[in-house]
Amino acid sequence: MVKNNLVAAYLLLVGVPVLGLLGILEAGRAIAAPLSIGGEWAIESDPTANCANPPGSLQRQLAWSISQSGTAALITLHDGYGTTLEATIDGSTLTAKSPGGTIAATITGKLGKRTMEGKISLVGCVPAAFRAVRQAPGKRG
Amino acid sequence: MLDLFQLVLQIAVILVAARLVGFLFQKIHQPQVMGEMVAGILLGPSLLGWLAPGVSAALFPPASLSYLNALSQVGLVVFMFVVGLALNPSDLRGYGHAAVLTSHVSIVAPFCLGGLTALYLYPRLSDDGVTFTGFALFMGAAMSITAFPVLARILTERGLLRSRMGTMAIACAAVDDVTGWCILAYIVVLVRVTHAARPAWVTIAGSLAYVLIMVFVVRRILPAFEREFRKRNRLSDNLVAVIVVLVLVSALATEWLGIHLLFGAFLMGAIMPKTPEFTHYLLHKFESVTVVLLLPLFFAFTGLRTRIGVGGGRAIWFYSAIVIVVAITGKLGGSMFAARLAGMPWREAASLGILMNTRGLMELVILNIGLDIGVISPAMFSIMVLMALVTTFMTTPLLEWVYPTRLLRAQMDEVHKNVA
Repeated sequence: MVKNNLVAAYLLLVGVPVLGLLGILEAGRAIAAPLSIGGEWAIESDPTANCANPPGSLQRQLAWSISQSGTAALITLHDGYGTTLEATIDGSTLTAKSPGGTIAATITGKLGKRTMEGKISLVGCVPAAFRAVRQAPGKRG
Repeated sequence: MLDLFQLVLQIAVILVAARLVGFLFQKIHQPQVMGEMVAGILLGPSLLGWLAPGVSAALFPPASLSYLNALSQVGLVVFMFVVGLALNPSDLRGYGHAAVLTSHVSIVAPFCLGGLTALYLYPRLSDDGVTFTGFALFMGAAMSITAFPVLARILTERGLLRSRMGTMAIACAAVDDVTGWCILAYIVVLVRVTHAARPAWVTIAGSLAYVLIMVFVVRRILPAFEREFRKRNRLSDNLVAVIVVLVLVSALATEWLGIHLLFGAFLMGAIMPKTPEFTHYLLHKFESVTVVLLLPLFFAFTGLRTRIGVGGGRAIWFYSAIVIVVAITGKLGGSMFAARLAGMPWREAASLGILMNTRGLMELVILNIGLDIGVISPAMFSIMVLMALVTTFMTTPLLEWVYPTRLLRAQMDEVHKNVA
């Protein structure tokens, strides 16, 4: 009797939740997540070219790295100063606003070939159009 | 380039912080490891980086962290071998259907609730580089893990190891550990296969062949070490070195197969001979350096990746609260309910649930793997680290509240009288 009760309890407490989990996995397939932009990016035009006080020219690279958590992202410019901009992603639009400057861009391309086009305005620089290409989805952390 | 001065300075600071905070936590009846975990967090951006960003940047410049990471990974490989070594299949025998029910529910309940939470968190804290299936399965696995070593230590400290509830907890935690690692291995393969150049069938067939070789070939060779130990009551340095090499080769095999270094180390430990003297000898040999030197480096490295309360605003705290509530409900509630249903008195069932809810160090290991393979975002990582800290911290006081030491001693005395 006790054994039968345990079998029933097992089916109820283990079997049913496993079926529920399968349902959850199926339902989750329909959920869209924010576009992935994390990783290293190369910038095809130099947004710091027309700056009054150009960032350390020796260390300047036309690149930035992005650390992403869902709709929030942290853009770190490789400008010698480590300027960071906090960004939000809404659909295919990226908006970044920080004391260091602003970025407004559109994210395009498939997961493996993601690009970004828009306007960047850094403190002390003339606002400039840019195009950035993701080099590889970043290893996080 | 390696800056040796910087690395040695980092290690010294980490060790001092780990021992100091560990000592303070012991004073408030928390396990030493809990304090060491917190020390790691305090050295990261959550406290030191927030209070003194200049000091933090000078002490832990990002370029120097790869060396710290490498050392901590070596420590983890040895630690996972030790965890596998401490796992004894005989713990699982003789507990019948009740233990099977309790341990399986203690995995399934938090796993399902983790999957359910993923429906809400996936569009908020993940991205389209990760599939929902990968994210949800990882959330489930991370919610359902139990810190076997911490649990065993708490039981020993409270004299509960030989009690009915203690042996049941050990059996359930052992099942949870093995199941959790199998699920995690599957998730790692699932995520890595989509990005790897190697075909999926190589990973799957290779993993199967690897497990079969380990269980049916290597396991039969290992008793030779035990025989040698029995002859001299010790192992020569050369033989200990051979064991280390075997652990490393096993770890390399699983890494090459696309699973993870740590699975190989864990399996090597799990298939080692399990006579108490031999296990105790090896644990003593490997544990000291790992626990005192290398694990604090892992905690610090984890802390440096954790940003509790940094960025994300109020939403992050809300998500953290959800994750913590779900984790406790699933693990503590699920285990307690199943144990009660299996015939355990409420007090013992609740204590078992509290013990199973201890996630500790094992959770941090899993979370670091998740962050490395990109299945969770930095914010999700920080939230889960916070959950690991909260669930580990609450274990001792909650256990004392539900099952006070005086009551436990009285019951143990009663048992001894009846036996006499």
